[in-house]
Amino acid sequence: MTDVMPQRYTGARTRRVEDSRILTGTGEYVDDVKLPGLLHAAFVRSPVAHATITRVDLNGAREAPGVVAVYTGEELEARLHHDEEAKGPQFTTLATTKVRVVGDPIVMVIAESRYLAEDACDLIEVDYDELPPVATFDDARNPEIPPIFEGRSNVRELPRATFGDVEGVFARADRVVRAHLDVHRHQNVPMEGQAMLADYDAASGRLTLHASTQGVHAVRNTISGALGLDRSRVHVVAKEIGGSFGLKFGTSREQIAIAAASVDLGRPVKWVEDRTENLTVSGQAREESFDLELAVTDEGDVLGLKVDMILDQGAYPGMGAMVPSIMQGVIVGPYRMQALDFASTVVTSNKAAYVAYRGPWASETFLRERMLDLAAAELGVDPLELRLRNVAGQSDTMITGRSLRSCTARESLEKIREVVDVADFRRRQEAARAEGRYLGIGIATFIEGAPGPRGDGPLGRERMTATVDTDGTVLVFTGQMPHGQGHQTTFAQVAADQLGVPIEQVRIVVGDSDRVPNSATGGSRAATMAGGATLHVTRKLKDRIRELAAELLEANVDDIEVEGGRVGVRGTPVSALSFAELATAVEEGRAGEGASLEVDLTYDGGEGGWSGGTHCAEVEVDADTGLVHIRRYVVAEDCGELINPAIVEGQIRGGVAQGIGAVLLEKSAYDEHGQFLAASFMDYLLPTTTEVPTIEIHHLETTPLDADVNFRGVGEGGMIVAPPTLVNAIEDALAPFGVKIYEQHLPPKRILELIGAIDPE
Amino acid sequence: MTDPVQIDLVVNGQPRSAAAEPRRLLADFLRDDLGLTGTHVGCEHGVCGACTVLVDGEPVRSCLMFAVQARGAEVRTIEGLAEGGRLNPVQEALWNSHSFQCGFCTPGFVMQITALLEENPTPGEAEIREALSGNICRCTGYQSIVEGVLRAAGHDVPTAAH
Repeated sequence: MTDVMPQRYTGARTRRVEDSRILTGTGEYVDDVKLPGLLHAAFVRSPVAHATITRVDLNGAREAPGVVAVYTGEELEARLHHDEEAKGPQFTTLATTKVRVVGDPIVMVIAESRYLAEDACDLIEVDYDELPPVATFDDARNPEIPPIFEGRSNVRELPRATFGDVEGVFARADRVVRAHLDVHRHQNVPMEGQAMLADYDAASGRLTLHASTQGVHAVRNTISGALGLDRSRVHVVAKEIGGSFGLKFGTSREQIAIAAASVDLGRPVKWVEDRTENLTVSGQAREESFDLELAVTDEGDVLGLKVDMILDQGAYPGMGAMVPSIMQGVIVGPYRMQALDFASTVVTSNKAAYVAYRGPWASETFLRERMLDLAAAELGVDPLELRLRNVAGQSDTMITGRSLRSCTARESLEKIREVVDVADFRRRQEAARAEGRYLGIGIATFIEGAPGPRGDGPLGRERMTATVDTDGTVLVFTGQMPHGQGHQTTFAQVAADQLGVPIEQVRIVVGDSDRVPNSATGGSRAATMAGGATLHVTRKLKDRIRELAAELLEANVDDIEVEGGRVGVRGTPVSALSFAELATAVEEGRAGEGASLEVDLTYDGGEGGWSGGTHCAEVEVDADTGLVHIRRYVVAEDCGELINPAIVEGQIRGGVAQGIGAVLLEKSAYDEHGQFLAASFMDYLLPTTTEVPTIEIHHLETTPLDADVNFRGVGEGGMIVAPPTLVNAIEDALAPFGVKIYEQHLPPKRILELIGAIDPE
Repeated sequence: MTDPVQIDLVVNGQPRSAAAEPRRLLADFLRDDLGLTGTHVGCEHGVCGACTVLVDGEPVRSCLMFAVQARGAEVRTIEGLAEGGRLNPVQEALWNSHSFQCGFCTPGFVMQITALLEENPTPGEAEIREALSGNICRCTGYQSIVEGVLRAAGHDVPTAAH
C-alpha cells in the first residue's frame, strides 16, 4: 500500500480526456469513417412548402456517372416495414404524393461520391401543384386552408388545466398585468449536422450504423423498426459527435432511407447533412405565442397567472405537442403563486419539425420573468426586490404540485444583489442617459428539474456496468452519449475517486449498442443520473474487488483494503495485488469458478434536487445603430456539487451564448408562402467572439439532499434564462423611449423600430 | 465534370500527390484523397471556419478553395501540430483551458490561432477576439478559447488541475 493519499478528482478542474483526440484531429466523427465500397446519398428536396407532387421524372439519373441507385418515395417505401397500428399522422419516409415543408425529401440518389450524387439530383425534375401553405398561426386557424395531414385538423387544443382557486385569486388582486408575448422560431445548429453511415453485411445479416446521436439504442430501435429487422441485427456505434443541443435525440427520415439503401445494396452508404439541409429542415424550435394575465397586489405580491398559449409544431411530428404540458408544470417557477390557469393549442404548419432544443420548455421562464418585470414597472418597484418578495422557500410546494425542496432561487437572487451594485448602476445609467447613451440592467431567475427533488417514485433509471480489465483498467459502460459534455472525463473523475486509482486507469465506454446499457444524453440528466450511477456502480465494483481479493488472499474481507490502485490485506503491503493481477487471477478462475469482477447497477436518482440560478446582464443599446452591447454578464448558479467546475462553466457559458444568439441574432425565418429564408450562415446568424462577452460565474452549492450524490444537471440553464435576462436589460435601457418589449427577437432593425427611429414593416 | 488533374503539394512537411477533378474542394481533397480527416467541414460556404487550414502560412477556408489552387503550396492542418506524439504548446494551452467541447470547430480554431500567434506572439484579449471572430463555435461561448490563446501567449491565466 502506498502512503500517498489518492488525489481527489471530484471537484477539480481535471483536464478532459477527450481533448487529446479533438485537439489533434484524431477524433472520428461520422464523416471521417471510410469503408471499402462506401457510397454516398443525396436527396432531391421540395423547393415549396405545401404541394401535391404531380410528376417525378428521373430523367436519366439512374444512368448518370457514378450513380448506383435511385429511390423514389414509392420504391423506398416498398423496402420499409409498416406498423399498421401506428397512431398519429401518416406519411412516407420520402414524400410520394405531397410535400409539406421546404426541404421535404422526395428522391434519394446513391452514388460513388457526394459530388456525383448531387449531380444526379440536379437531373431529376419534380412538378408540383401548390397548395395554400400554413405559415402563421392565423393560417392554421383558417378553414379555407386544407389540412396538412389528411383527416387531421391543423389546430389541436390540448386539455386546459387549472391549479388553485384561479377566480378567487384574480378577484383578490389589486391589478392584473396583461401582455401578449411572442417567442420566435430558432434552432439548435450543432456544428456537425445530422450524420449516419449505414453498413449492411449480407453474410451476417447485420446492419452496423455509425451514428451522430444522443443515444445509440434509440437509433437502433427506430431503424430496426422501420426496416423490420430484429433489434439484435442492428448494431449502432457512435464516437465523436459534433454537438446536438437536443437535435439528435431522434432519428431522421433520411437516416431511415440510407439504412434501407444499405440493406438493399449490400454496401455502406453515408449521408452527412450539409448546412443548407441542416438549417432548412433538420429541426427547429420555439415558435410560441402567449396571452398572459398576472394577478398582483399593490404591495407587490404576485398571486396567480393565466396563460393561453399557442405553439407551431411544424409539419412532421417532433416534440412540439409535448412542450405545453412541460411548461405548465414549471411555469410558476420558484415563486409563491397561488393559482395557475393554463390553456394551450398546438398547430401544424408547413415548417420544419419542432425538435428539442436545449431547455425545450424554456419559454415558460421567458414569459414569467418578462411578466415580473412588466409588473415591477407597473408597481414602480425594483425587479430584483419584487422577485425577492415573492420567491418561495425550500419548504414550499409549487401550486402545480412539485416540491421546492433544495431550490435556491432566493440565495441566487441574494448573490446577484451582493455582486452587482444596482445603486451604482442606476447612477451610471443616469449619467449615461445625460450623454445620450442607453444603459440597462436586467435579471431573471430559473429553476430546472435536473432532475428535481424525489417525489413519490424514482427519478429515473440509469443502468451502468463496470469491471476491471486484465491490464488493470477500470471499465465503466454507460448509455450516456456525450457530444461535448465531457462525460468521459467527469464520470472517470467520480470512478477514480471511488476506487482510489489515477484517472488514467479509468475508461468510460460509450457509444456501442452491443456493449453499453440503454440510455441517452439529454434533459440535463447526466450529472445526477449517470454521475450517481457511476458513483454507485464503482462503489459496488470496489466491494467486488475486495470480496474476490479476500478469496485469493485467503483473508477476511473486512481486512481487505483498496488503495493506490492495489488491493491487499491491511498491514501486509507486500501481498497486495495490482488491479491487473487481480483481474487476471479472476479470469483464470483462481478466485473460484464463475467469479467475475463485472458489476451491474441501476440507479434511481437518489434524492435528486433542483438546479437553478439567477442571471444579470448590463447592456448598452446604441440608439443610432440598434446594436446591443453586453457590458457585463453575471451568473449565480446552483447545480449542486460540482464534479468539474471547468466543465460546468463551459456548459453555462455555452448556454448563455445560445441565449444571446436567440435574442440578438438568430431567427428561423419563413415568408408568408412558407418559404424558408435563413438557409445559410449569411442569413441565420450565430454569435461569435465579438458578441459573447466574458461571463462571470458564481457557484452556489447550498442544499444537499442525498447522502452520496448531489451532482445536478447544468446543461440547459444558460439557454433557458439568458433570453429573459437580456430582454429585461434591453427594456430597462430603452425606458427613456417608453418602450415595452413583448417579444424575444431583438436584432438591430427591431430595436430601431421599437424606439421609433424607423417605421415597422 | 472534367478529367482529374494531378495535384502535388506539401502537407504538414510531407510531399503528397493525388489526382482530383478541378472542382474538388481543398477540404474534400485533404479529407478524402489524402485521408486527413482532422479538417472538418461545417458550412461549405466559408462562414464557420471549421475547415480552416494554413496555405503558405495564411489561414484559408478549405471549403472555398479548390484543391488545384493549392498545387505547389505548403499546407498545414491540425494533424501536423503535435510534435513527436506530444501536444505542441498551443494545443497544451488549449487543453489546460478546457477550450473546446464537442470538438467539431476545433481544427479550424486551432489553425486560426496558430496563424495568429505566428504573426503576433503576444496578442491581448481584444486582438484575440478580433482574430477569431470568423470562426464559429456553438458549444463554448468562446471565453475558454480566448483564455486558451491568452495562456498560449504567456499571459497569466488560472491553471487547470492536471
